[in-house]
Amino acid sequence: MLILGIETSCDETSAALVADGTKILSSAIATQLDLLKKYGGVVPEVAARRHTELIGYVIKEALDKAGRTLDDIEAVAVTSRQGLISCLMVGVAAAKSISYAKNVPLIGLHHIEGHIFANILSHPEMPFPHVCLTVSGGHNMLVHVQEKCRYELLGTTLDDAAGEAFDKIAKFLGLGFPGGPVIDKLSKPGNPEAFSFPRPMIKNKSFDFSFSGLKTAVINMFKDKIARGEKLPLPDIAASFQEAVVDTLVAKTLRAVEMKDLKVVSVTGGVSANSRLRQVFTETCKRKGIKVFFPDLSLCTDNAAMIAAAGYARMMLGERSDLRLNVFPNAPLGG
Amino acid sequence: MIVLGIDTSGYVNAVGLADGTRVLADVAFPAKTDSLEQIVDNIDSVLKSAGLSLEDIQGIGVGLGPGSWTGIKVGVTVGKMLAFSADKPVAGIPTLEALAYAARKKSLFIYAVINSGVGDTVYAARYHTSKNGVSQEGEYFTGSIKDLVPLINEPVLLVGGDIKRYRDIILKENPLIRNKVKALEALPSGAAVACLAAVRLARGMKDNPLSLTPLYLKESTAEVFINKYKVK
Repeated sequence: MLILGIETSCDETSAALVADGTKILSSAIATQLDLLKKYGGVVPEVAARRHTELIGYVIKEALDKAGRTLDDIEAVAVTSRQGLISCLMVGVAAAKSISYAKNVPLIGLHHIEGHIFANILSHPEMPFPHVCLTVSGGHNMLVHVQEKCRYELLGTTLDDAAGEAFDKIAKFLGLGFPGGPVIDKLSKPGNPEAFSFPRPMIKNKSFDFSFSGLKTAVINMFKDKIARGEKLPLPDIAASFQEAVVDTLVAKTLRAVEMKDLKVVSVTGGVSANSRLRQVFTETCKRKGIKVFFPDLSLCTDNAAMIAAAGYARMMLGERSDLRLNVFPNAPLGG
Repeated sequence: MIVLGIDTSGYVNAVGLADGTRVLADVAFPAKTDSLEQIVDNIDSVLKSAGLSLEDIQGIGVGLGPGSWTGIKVGVTVGKMLAFSADKPVAGIPTLEALAYAARKKSLFIYAVINSGVGDTVYAARYHTSKNGVSQEGEYFTGSIKDLVPLINEPVLLVGGDIKRYRDIILKENPLIRNKVKALEALPSGAAVACLAAVRLARGMKDNPLSLTPLYLKESTAEVFINKYKVK
């Protein structure tokens, strides 16, 4: 079954063709890096206007790259839940129009389910059940993935997502946007133990996260150093901050795996591309005899291939959306 | 040439059908916040009522706005993707022009007026009418309805939503033009969009569906801010 996936929940306009939920025939992603740099972050109305301009071109590019036409498409899968409302609407408007004009089934999906499937798409052999950590600028969840499309939400962020903390710290330090890759790079020569930043809620029994206090601690320390006229070892600050985030994410995830008595961890989302996060997860899991999986780098950030893969799995369960499909910016993962 | 016209710039999903400039159907579905949820169903029901399917039409007209920013993104995206998917020619039609077109037989000069959603700020444009159509005179206007007053020199018909209130504001500013200014309450019309698109498409003036974008006439708040900031 050939599925066209469409994803416009935040600031990436994306379309992809995926066969049988496993084989990516093409993926087209238009990022809005120029707008991010101009505005220092995602402005919903600005992002939605860009989606409206690009959506047709991106879908056409996905078709052309795969050497297919819309006549070959057997279903359309689209992100309809969780994200920026005006951005989600553009993707859903496009998806339902194609579904109607081509008389093919439509399925609306939760953005986070897409990220869970990004790793299943990268590693078809990944066993179920497993614990999945989704971590990006917009979300930060721990999910018990019981089987395909069956989820138990264990925890989520109470304020900032980890990626958001990366972005805000990078912005504060004047390092640019997006913050994840620049801090990752800057941290390489830095000493992660130079500063002792808090590991927020690391001892808390819940599986929820909170990164806004850590962000404040970094900013306060920075201001304090400036006030005293001290030197600012940026690589050390970046590395110490990154280490605090990584420690927290790894500790909470492993506790969830142990609580569920499982041996498999899936880490997905934009921050799963972070090299230090991958290293610490890999080392810690190896010690504990746990298998850890990360998506291909191209599937870490928002993309439509993961939406098509999730759509395929849902359709195999007999699910369909009708042409009245609407968007739900704050919908729970469900499942 | 049978053309489907859609316009979701206002508080209705306007869907119409025209054969050339002959109106076959014109329905305004109430859609305050659910225009995305309804629009494809609305299109389907208008087509079915006319005994047609999407395959039977020869073109698509899309109301580009101005109007609700969310509404026009939905309408333009649906219009362009239907045109692309069904391989039909598409023409984007300014909603102000469609408002004036639907009222063309009622006055030689028409001001089409659309509420911007912010105070008394409106989007407007002036049209000179003839039996067969309308032609825009001058640029689009975005500003306070009061600033339209000095521009009104000859008898004119104001057309749009909430239009009596706008007429009252205008007459309060300048009571001397009382006899010159009439008002006609009107919603966007899918049929007017379809007729105008049919005329354009018959002349070979089709738009590229992929590049079709809404007519916002106003920058987003963030753009306004950043442009102002840059000037400083």
